Amino acid sequence: MLSLHPVFGFSDLSSLRSSKIEFLKVKIRKIWVFLAVFKKMDIISQLQEQVNSIASLTFNTFGTLQRDAPPVRLSPNYPEPPPNPTEDSANFADQPKLMSAALVKAAKQFDALVAALPPSEGGEEAQLRRIAELQAENDAVGQELQKQLEAAEKELKQVQELFSQAADNCLNLKKPD
Amino acid sequence: MATATYPPPPPFYRLYKDYLQNPKSAPEPPPPIEGTYVCFGVNYTTDDVLPSLEDQGVRQLYPKGPNIDFKKELRSLNRELQLHILELADVLVERPSQYARQVEEISLIFKNLHHLLNSLRPHQARATLIHILELQIQRRKEALEDIKRRREEARRLLKESLGTLDGQ
Repeated sequence: MLSLHPVFGFSDLSSLRSSKIEFLKVKIRKIWVFLAVFKKMDIISQLQEQVNSIASLTFNTFGTLQRDAPPVRLSPNYPEPPPNPTEDSANFADQPKLMSAALVKAAKQFDALVAALPPSEGGEEAQLRRIAELQAENDAVGQELQKQLEAAEKELKQVQELFSQAADNCLNLKKPD
Repeated sequence: MATATYPPPPPFYRLYKDYLQNPKSAPEPPPPIEGTYVCFGVNYTTDDVLPSLEDQGVRQLYPKGPNIDFKKELRSLNRELQLHILELADVLVERPSQYARQVEEISLIFKNLHHLLNSLRPHQARATLIHILELQIQRRKEALEDIKRRREEARRLLKESLGTLDGQ
């Protein structure tokens, strides 16, 4: 018999195992959230991923429900179908609820992502115009930068020239004793 | 045509023997290709544009026009999708043999969704370009200011040292 765990306080093995799993799940979720926050895909790729996940949730939902649905009585002429008391009836009643909740959550997530799209200022022509004016400004600033750079290099050369002359003079003035 | 497994390099490397001494003695590289070209037996085109939905034979559910409000259309397509999923569930319960039509509607909505998202990409590319240009302009301006400041400081130092030398 297992005594009480010093940290988690269990008294039996199965709840210990399930809590370990829960703990690991929380850890994995935290890592996933960390990655998702600091290394995001761009918004359009996220939207595309979300659309694909909605699609896969849809066909998983319908596929699972169709595959696992218990037989139902079609007409009073036929006898009652034999009940299947396997794990179906216990968990099956929750399946539609869980899966539809997941679908709705995915759809809400999609809406949240759409809201996170940056506002589309103007159309294509406005963007092209902005690009043209930015290019012009970039060229102007670039040319001025080039001019300043050349002037600075010229001054540097002059200063280096003067410095070497001054150093030569210093050396020539200092006679060795 | 190079169809051997390990084809030799193209033979015109010999024309570039004196390139270091005289860059003009060798032929210029060929101009960029326009139109369609063949690469490894496959036809490629240089004009990469997203084919519109009609070209693929798919009905377009969101309105055409010069400026589409992407957010609104995406949201309304999402709502349509949810409604159609519910319809499919209903059809499966009541008239299970007529699922095909609903499934086709749902796939149509998905195709429209993806096409809309794909048509956002050129917009995103232009916005990225604008952002990069703005960053570059800002960096250049900062460098310009930096150089100006350093030159001023150098000039000031030289004046000072001239003053101290004269004072001697």
